[in-house]
Amino acid sequence: MKNIIEINNLHKVYTGGTHALKGINLNVKEGEFCILLGLSGSGKTTLLRCLNRLIEPTSGKIQIDGEDIIAAKGQKLRLIRRKIGMIFQQFNLIKNMSSLTNVLTGKLGYTSLLNSLAFSKNKKDVEIALENLQRVGLKDFDENKIKNLSGGQQQRVAIARTLMQKPKVILADEPVASLDPATADSVMKYLGELNKNDKITIICSLHFLSLARKYGTRVVGLKDGEIVFDGTPREIDKKRFKEIYGEDAEEVEIR
Amino acid sequence: MKKKNMLKLNLQAILTDLLIWIYITGCISFLLNRWFNVAIPGLHIVIYGVVVSVIVMTCGISIGRKVFLPTKRTNNKWYKTFWGWSIVLILLITFIVGWILVEVNPYKFFTKFKNAGGIMSGIFDPNLDLLIVSLTALAETIYLALLATIFAIPFAFLLSFFAARNLMPKTLIGNTVYIIIRTFATVFRSIEAIVWAIIFSVWVGIGPFAGMLALMIHSIAALTKLYSEQIENIDSGPVEAIKATGANTLQIWVFGVVPQIISPFLAFTIYRWDINVRMATIVGFVGGGGIGLLLLQQQQLLRWHNVGMIIWLIAAVVWIMDMVSAKVREKLQGM
Repeated sequence: MKNIIEINNLHKVYTGGTHALKGINLNVKEGEFCILLGLSGSGKTTLLRCLNRLIEPTSGKIQIDGEDIIAAKGQKLRLIRRKIGMIFQQFNLIKNMSSLTNVLTGKLGYTSLLNSLAFSKNKKDVEIALENLQRVGLKDFDENKIKNLSGGQQQRVAIARTLMQKPKVILADEPVASLDPATADSVMKYLGELNKNDKITIICSLHFLSLARKYGTRVVGLKDGEIVFDGTPREIDKKRFKEIYGEDAEEVEIR
Repeated sequence: MKKKNMLKLNLQAILTDLLIWIYITGCISFLLNRWFNVAIPGLHIVIYGVVVSVIVMTCGISIGRKVFLPTKRTNNKWYKTFWGWSIVLILLITFIVGWILVEVNPYKFFTKFKNAGGIMSGIFDPNLDLLIVSLTALAETIYLALLATIFAIPFAFLLSFFAARNLMPKTLIGNTVYIIIRTFATVFRSIEAIVWAIIFSVWVGIGPFAGMLALMIHSIAALTKLYSEQIENIDSGPVEAIKATGANTLQIWVFGVVPQIISPFLAFTIYRWDINVRMATIVGFVGGGGIGLLLLQQQQLLRWHNVGMIIWLIAAVVWIMDMVSAKVREKLQGM
């Protein structure tokens, strides 16, 4: 399998002086479900956001599907972003709009402004959007406003929106951190399915080791902006766990 | 604390004390002049002020020190401290000077009521024959305010995006555009609509059109500020999410920003219309047409019963507008 993401010596220093990423080197192969573990502030979110340049890296190289995203500008950058879906902890949907409209916004990278203004009239796109909603178990929810949906349903709408992009990679930034454990598992199940059936590479930051073991094919541990662990979920024993989370940490089982 | 910061705080403290004591000596010399006909040259006032503040500063008991510099916490009650008494002095002297300047005269207030008898009887006995004429003028005012609001919306809407900190890139051009628009909005808003009305009544002639232009300019400035502050308060999450789909800047604005601001924008706009109706009355006084102009004419002719009629109509309209706009805004909040 070829590398779909290649990160070389990636640094991020925030204007306040915080050194969030200290020379990250990481290659992710096509089809991997890569889990990022680490404490809050270890650099997981910064790393994910550097990958589609929602945050500008300070230095280093990132290749996505063979293309240099750091050098990309304007139209080129948008075309690369189109291949990268993103899912957020807070779902980041437009709350006073319907599920369908929110899902359709996933197609924006493919349309011009004028066409996108009339996108609810585009039968083909609406059809695909409805299919995607159905895929995440939200058939018949297309007219519901987002603010009337539960957290788990909202995250599934967000997944459907990402699917509109036909992404090769999905970046998931703590997608289940604001959900209860049962709902968290159901959302992870959909991501797992996309990984298996659609061969979409997924990089997902998580807090629950149990979910990492269940869905991840690979685990990368971050601590203070550096990679401290890289292996399979099975390899994480008590000792490794403490390496990632610090000496005082105890694993809490969530089922 | 850093040295540079201390220097800045010290400067602020010194400046505050200088201003306070020059103000106090200025006020005292004004009172001396009024009561005892003693004239003190302006330069002397400044010098006395400086001298007092230097003394107070060196003794370390000044207000500036208290406000800007870290002082040892003492358990002294405020009336046992010098700065406490300085504040009492400032308030007292300001009140006395204000009383004299404003020519406050309670005697007149209680004894000359009958002077207002004409207007009072007019209010309680309005001339109903003027109803049709007044209603026509009132309609002019309401429509004038409405058109001013409508014309202001597209300008304010466009400008507000460029006056929102979170949408403008942090580059030289982005910052310049932001600062220019914000400055214009602030300056144009701080010039009262009544001043604009005077300008436009000369420009396009006395009448409702001048009033509309005046309110429009003022509304553009006010709405730009309100709109852009609303944009700065939006949830950045959806904006980021839409950016991540590969959308371009305009698409991000249309799909990430606009849906979040539509209902607050509508609420602000209706509120603005409400304000404009009230302002339109005043603007009419200086040549902006409508009910204000009619009121001015009748008042100058001393036709108090007509004035009474107009006042009742204005009150009714303001009351209704206030109620309607509050109701609509309440509904919008839930959207």
